[in-house]
Amino acid sequence: MNKFYAWVDERVELESLVKFLGKKYVPIHRHSVWYYFGGVSLFLFIIQVVTGILLLLYYKSGEELAFESIQFIMAKVEFGWLIRSLHSWTANLFVLAALIHMFSVYFEKSYRKPREMTWLTGMLMLFLAFAFGFSGYLLPWNELAFFATKVGTDIAGVVPVIGEPILEFLRGGEDVTGATLSRFFGFHVALFPGIFTVLLGIHLVLVQRQGMSQPLGIEIESGGEPAKTMPFFPNFLLRDLLLWLIVLNILAILAVFFPWELGKKADPFAPAPAGIKPEWYFLFMFQTLKYIPAKIWIVDGEILGILAFGAAGALWMMVPFWDRKSSRGERNRFVNYLGIFALAYMIALTIVGWLL
Amino acid sequence: MTRMFFTALLSFMLMLILSDSVRGQSGGTGRRDECFTCHESLGDSPSEAFKHDIHRQKGVTCAGCHGGNPSSEDMEVAMGKAAGFSGVPKGDSISVRCATCHADAETMESFGSELPTNQWKSLQSSVHGKASITGKAHLAQCTTCHNSHGIVSVKDPSSPVSALNVTTTCAKCHSNPTYMQSYNPSLPIDQLDKYRTSMHGILNKRGDVKAAHCASCHGSHDIRTSKDVKSRVHAASIPVTCSGCHSDSSYMKEYGIPTDQYANFSKSVHGVALLEKKDVGAPACNDCHGNHGAMPPGVESISKVCGTCHALNADLFSESPHKKAFDDRKLPECETCHGNHEIVSATDALLGVTNGGVCARCHSEQENQKGFMVARTMRSLVDSLEFSSRHSEELLEEAEQKGMEVSEAKFKLRDARQSRLQSRTMVHSFNEAKFREVVSKGLTVSEEVREQGQHAVDEFYFRRWGLGVSTLIISIVAISLYATIRKIERRQKNSRK
Repeated sequence: MNKFYAWVDERVELESLVKFLGKKYVPIHRHSVWYYFGGVSLFLFIIQVVTGILLLLYYKSGEELAFESIQFIMAKVEFGWLIRSLHSWTANLFVLAALIHMFSVYFEKSYRKPREMTWLTGMLMLFLAFAFGFSGYLLPWNELAFFATKVGTDIAGVVPVIGEPILEFLRGGEDVTGATLSRFFGFHVALFPGIFTVLLGIHLVLVQRQGMSQPLGIEIESGGEPAKTMPFFPNFLLRDLLLWLIVLNILAILAVFFPWELGKKADPFAPAPAGIKPEWYFLFMFQTLKYIPAKIWIVDGEILGILAFGAAGALWMMVPFWDRKSSRGERNRFVNYLGIFALAYMIALTIVGWLL
Repeated sequence: MTRMFFTALLSFMLMLILSDSVRGQSGGTGRRDECFTCHESLGDSPSEAFKHDIHRQKGVTCAGCHGGNPSSEDMEVAMGKAAGFSGVPKGDSISVRCATCHADAETMESFGSELPTNQWKSLQSSVHGKASITGKAHLAQCTTCHNSHGIVSVKDPSSPVSALNVTTTCAKCHSNPTYMQSYNPSLPIDQLDKYRTSMHGILNKRGDVKAAHCASCHGSHDIRTSKDVKSRVHAASIPVTCSGCHSDSSYMKEYGIPTDQYANFSKSVHGVALLEKKDVGAPACNDCHGNHGAMPPGVESISKVCGTCHALNADLFSESPHKKAFDDRKLPECETCHGNHEIVSATDALLGVTNGGVCARCHSEQENQKGFMVARTMRSLVDSLEFSSRHSEELLEEAEQKGMEVSEAKFKLRDARQSRLQSRTMVHSFNEAKFREVVSKGLTVSEEVREQGQHAVDEFYFRRWGLGVSTLIISIVAISLYATIRKIERRQKNSRK
């Protein structure tokens, strides 16, 4: 083993990397648990890539083939059922872990200087995760996905000026058809993974270069005293691995006990079934749009809602640049209240959307 | 006040005009009707016919329909414009003139009539209320069927619309190809000819006024096309229309035929489809008995009648050994096993020689033994297929409930069901080899589906076990990792000390 290490070290100077890792420390405090959600998100993304590639071996895009190929994967391919179920469950857990990671970073104010770029790449990856979910949902070409995509793209089409071209670009025409499926497939397996990989690379390099941020609250409480730490390697990495194993176990149980259903094949001429809902992470927006009155003054309520969500998203993403107080190391209660409101709003509307 | 006075005066004058022009002075009532007196002396046919007209008997004068002054002996005055003479009414004005009295309940009551007063309204909404080819009037007027001057009560045998004459009256137009071409070229014109061959027509010809005629089924003033859902002869309404007479035991008493046809039919597979499910493709009375030529199908023609829909069954039966046997014994073909009006959905229970099996009616171990053996074998085959299909279906249901993907197997199971259906057709060949061939196909498919179902159920348990094992392995690795972390951290702590 040592010989092999020496062989590799001689060629790629592994020693410097090991030394670098050996010097990396992770702060220990009462909020340390939130550090792990970045790692969990990464692990789930890796599972997505692996299961996605495996599904690609048998998946066939196309109006006449997509549903049947998934049926084939689930019924005929050895462990195909497991791979598909894992991919679907992991997709949802990935979004959940990424959301938890994002909110923990927000409340810990870890986006402060010098980590603005880490925050921005993270936010872009979260939006991409939503896009992954939206595009992947249509790929089995089943009834629910078909109509959810119809409703989802309809909402995009409402945006003034650019809405209509966006809708046609997404659908590949006026309606959700095989053309939509083809381009969603392209987005899902080529475009999005490409962008995501670049962003993920930047994000990880930045995390490694800058190390883990200590939460602002803890920093203020300690009064500048050096924080307790643990070595990144092997302590933190092994803990990460332990959590990954636990997540893997949860995933396996979910995949076996609650296999992801395929439903009925999409029929563009059939009436929309009752209770069409988007994926759970879009529910809070979907539900909000339902509650907004048709007209607010002279503006269309739906347009106003979409623009408001767009503005809120942009504002959220730009938090490192307008929250100057935190960057100066001062408490900013407004950011906390805003975060609590956003989180409570999302949870409440998601529950309402789920129940109704 | 002045306005009220003039209104009262106008009403009084109108009353005078009406009572004078409609009721007038009729010869029948001893009152003066100078129009009739004069025309009678001329010996013209309208006045000749009008002598026996019910209207004349009720006191209606010529002026009742033609206007004018019937009390004046002076022709110039009597038929003058000033007297309101309108001459011979044409087009819709004929019916409008009739409706002046016939649509007015008060007037009709004053004549002591109990006739309904909606004839004109009904006629307008009926198929005969469509525009005529000139486009200026309705297709038929009151006089088209009732005549003009010799109108008598419908109960009067001489009336063109009496029970015994109405068929000929309708046929004047409906059997006239040239006339019918102008209005409905696709409508047959042989209704009267067919009617004459029907039991209704035969009785009618014999003078039986109770036997059904055109108006009995189609109605009189409110006749609608058979495609109209409001029509009495619309497919879904025919059983009720026929049962109007055929289910009335006192009405049918003298004919000596049962009156339970409708009750039986409504319970039958055909009746349920037609009356409950509103499937107008299902047969109504006329589809088996004919409509205008209504007759019970003869013993030898029953399979042909049923075969118009059940073609394959009829063909197989005709080629089967039963055909000759039934003909020799004068047994009605389909009816012998399936019944007639009360035909229920055929189940496997009909086949065989055990409880409910109709084959046992003619075949027993002692008599017609070959048929007995074949029936027993066929029943046993079809029972095997049924049992096997049900077992496969249950397995698939179980697998599906366990969340397994079995849609392909479920689709395949349709072939087994198809074989069961085919076997129910093939049974009419009464040929064991042919029957076995169909059933065997179903059994093979059913067995394949059963295997797939069993495989899916086994796979479910395999997944559970697999999960158990993998969870155990992952948990052991996780615990080992945890122990390693603890060990490393303890070592680090000790080294710091």
